[in-house]
Amino acid sequence: MKYETVIGIEIHCELKTATKMFSPAPVSFAKHPNSCVNEIDLAHPGTLPSLNKNAVRQAIKACAALNLRIDPLIRFDRKNYYYPDLSKGFQITQQFHPIGSEGFVMIPSSQGEKKVRINRLHMEEDTAKQFHYATETWIDYNRAGTPLVEIVSEPDMRNAEEAVAYVEKLRAILYYLGVSDVKMEEGSLRCDINISLRHEGSGEYGVKTEIKNLNSLNNIKIAIEAEVQRQSALLDSGEGIQQATRRYDDVAKTTVLMRKKEGSVDYKYFPEPNIPPVRLSQSWIQEIIDTLPELPEARYARYLSIGLSEYDAKILTQNKDLSDFYDEVLKFTKHSKIAANWCISEVLAVIDPLLLFTSRNKLTPENLATMINGIQDGIISSKQAKEVFPHMISGEPFAEVVERFGLKQVSDTDGLLVIIEETLDQQPQSVIDFHNGKDRALGFIVGQVMKKTKGQANPALTNKLVFEALQKRKP
Amino acid sequence: MNFNDYKIKNDPQTAAYKALEKAKAVQGKLNAVVSYVDPQARLDELKEIEPNGKMHGIPIVLKDNVNTKGILTTAGSRILGNYIAQYDATIVEKLNAAGAVLIAKSSLDEFGMGGTNLSAATGPVYNPYDLSRMSGGSSGGSAVLVASGVVPFAIGSDTGDSVRKPASFNGVVGFKPTYGRISRYGIIPYASSLDHVAFFTRNVADAATSLEVLAGRDDRDMTSLDLPVEPYRDRLNADLAGKKIGILTNVLDAIHDPEILSMFNGLIAKLKERGAEIVEIEMNQDLLSAILPTYYIIANAEATANHSNLDGLRFGVQKDGDDVDEVMTNSRTAGFGKLIRKRFVIGSYALFVENQDKLFRKAQKVRRLIVEDLKKALSEVDGLIAPAAANVAPKLNDTSLDQLSSTYLIAENFMVMGNFSGCPSITVPLGYKDGLPVGVNLTCNLYDEQTTLDLALAIEQATGLSDQIKEVA
Repeated sequence: MKYETVIGIEIHCELKTATKMFSPAPVSFAKHPNSCVNEIDLAHPGTLPSLNKNAVRQAIKACAALNLRIDPLIRFDRKNYYYPDLSKGFQITQQFHPIGSEGFVMIPSSQGEKKVRINRLHMEEDTAKQFHYATETWIDYNRAGTPLVEIVSEPDMRNAEEAVAYVEKLRAILYYLGVSDVKMEEGSLRCDINISLRHEGSGEYGVKTEIKNLNSLNNIKIAIEAEVQRQSALLDSGEGIQQATRRYDDVAKTTVLMRKKEGSVDYKYFPEPNIPPVRLSQSWIQEIIDTLPELPEARYARYLSIGLSEYDAKILTQNKDLSDFYDEVLKFTKHSKIAANWCISEVLAVIDPLLLFTSRNKLTPENLATMINGIQDGIISSKQAKEVFPHMISGEPFAEVVERFGLKQVSDTDGLLVIIEETLDQQPQSVIDFHNGKDRALGFIVGQVMKKTKGQANPALTNKLVFEALQKRKP
Repeated sequence: MNFNDYKIKNDPQTAAYKALEKAKAVQGKLNAVVSYVDPQARLDELKEIEPNGKMHGIPIVLKDNVNTKGILTTAGSRILGNYIAQYDATIVEKLNAAGAVLIAKSSLDEFGMGGTNLSAATGPVYNPYDLSRMSGGSSGGSAVLVASGVVPFAIGSDTGDSVRKPASFNGVVGFKPTYGRISRYGIIPYASSLDHVAFFTRNVADAATSLEVLAGRDDRDMTSLDLPVEPYRDRLNADLAGKKIGILTNVLDAIHDPEILSMFNGLIAKLKERGAEIVEIEMNQDLLSAILPTYYIIANAEATANHSNLDGLRFGVQKDGDDVDEVMTNSRTAGFGKLIRKRFVIGSYALFVENQDKLFRKAQKVRRLIVEDLKKALSEVDGLIAPAAANVAPKLNDTSLDQLSSTYLIAENFMVMGNFSGCPSITVPLGYKDGLPVGVNLTCNLYDEQTTLDLALAIEQATGLSDQIKEVA
């Protein structure tokens, strides 16, 4: 039987802010457990939430880039449930009035560009992390209260590729915005996939399952395919689908049941009394929208416009940190294509793009640009550049490396001509061989000249000058 | 003795130890203290600073739902029976900055949820005027420690009438300023949209000074008002010429005790003599009758969420269990009193998705209607006045009052309007019936603490009842 797959995606994305959503405790990953917490994160009695303005700014950036309508009246609600990782016993979220609603993104699909509608984006706070051991549960509250946005799509995707394209697109946008570091493996971007099947042509949705624990794009693809297979088999056999939350098992490459959904949980939502509605000024919102950073699509188009190939433009755009570095390089050189080649091949091969703008990277964009200009100006050859480059990675300026290794090309025509004439005088047999049609003789003479100049002669120029000199010595 | 007398007659050291000694002396009879606080470190600090703080050297008491870093803070509950506060509430910082000296933390109904102070984990607090009677609550401990002469100032909190009612029962001043005027950061909550920091003094002038110390914007409390702190004390003006005071007739009609009524009428006559224009204001009787059920729904719904942090995992008294869920369940079951558990059930029930429309949201609507009616009444006058209670403090075991009577629904609970609306509201002594105090309540327009204090001062001068102390030792 033929089924159509219907997929909707909920994304939880941790916002990049210095402090937490409702407390002044620092947000940071990989710190010593329970070192980034204060009395508010631990929900000590009497504490009150204070809204992080920067988190709201980040959410507005995301809303603007995802074409969502922004509600200028910020309101929060309590979602009540008991769980050891939820210190207050409720989560502060935006159930009734999300900051963003009714947006969309365009994704690539097998039928060309496709619009995926976004139902809502709302702000909330993350929970603590639990670690279960044989007889004990340990809780790290560092993550508790980290600002989050939840982005809920409409069920507009029809296969695993589209789902992956959607997540990829959102990741790229959120990363370009500087809103989040979108690391799926570290959990700063988490996906829940809602998936159901229906008979092709049917207007109604089938019973859905929700898949959690998807920590890579590849896992999303495998999980969806496995779940489609599982649901198809059940439908084929006449068994129904049970509404449930399932977890992707990375080892078995399949989804496993976490819990059945027998009716939905009653979270007893009600407006958060400790946060009065906050009216954002239209000018503040507009200022954020007006200063949005360049998004991936715009950057891709810009690269094409400066003459990069589609391939180069795509590779760079997909890697924002490298691409930012490339843009810096462009500030010091007009040779955009060669600079792109160097960034994509050599730079990417030796430096983790995430380190490009940290103190651990010693290669400055200006230094790389100086080398690229040097190649184009004939100061060194491309081949020599490959020798120079490793030294520049350790921070040595281009000019110094060239000087230290005596690599400067001799492009002085008069000087080269003296050496060439001298060489031809010393190699009469080669002159004869050349005129007898032995091409190897040209290469031999060039080689001798290179040897005399210790490799500093500009090879192309030398080749040209030797050829001309040989022509002149026609016996 | 008011604040100035304290400053003149005592050095801080003597004042603090006298207060501490007295607190201990009356404890056997009043049972008002949860923990005593050694004031010496604080007194040593005071020696280092200029003695110009508004409460320099004044010994004070805090209700035990106020967080005091390093000091036991129980909120009157078993579940926090071992809880040492991790930080100071904003008002503790302000009181310290003003030079006040904390000598004790006082008893309260568990988490402030009650009006009798019978539900405190440390047992009932007794009324200094008659030890067989209740102090009232939930700030009962603070009320009686001011009334019995232990301290001239004590912090309470007022969610329904938890300062203004015990003030009436104990013959002291109880003042709840506008919602947001005093930061709630660090006050263990009952119901966030209704909770107010409030306080007891023995006279209106001290109340004005205290407000100057406590008021002001706090970025840690988003509901805190961004308004300047005014010199309330210097501006105090008891002149009633041109002032219009409205008598809440619905409350008067619900009071049947002739002595209380006659005391009240006596006061009204004096206020008229002093130049006030007195008018009768009748509010919507149905709305007033709905105050208590509305309050119950909203307060308990907020409370059940507010206290979900008390799970025994991170702090408080933890009870063993086979897994984390069981630890939470066992800790909560053992940690909360029966009345609290009942309130949590009511609150949760009102929040169930199928009940929200007919209970929680309806209560919010009724709250708005009551507030509109109150604001309409206040728009015609400078303040609304009525006896703060239908009678004197009840006996500890008195359950005779019909809870569906207007005496109970309106006369005993109308002050909740001050919490619904956030309007400033103050109780000052009205008089004595058989030696037991009764208070009069005054509620004014939002943000207008000055008028509240001015009218209260006029009442105080009319009754002549200031700095009343009932010695029990």
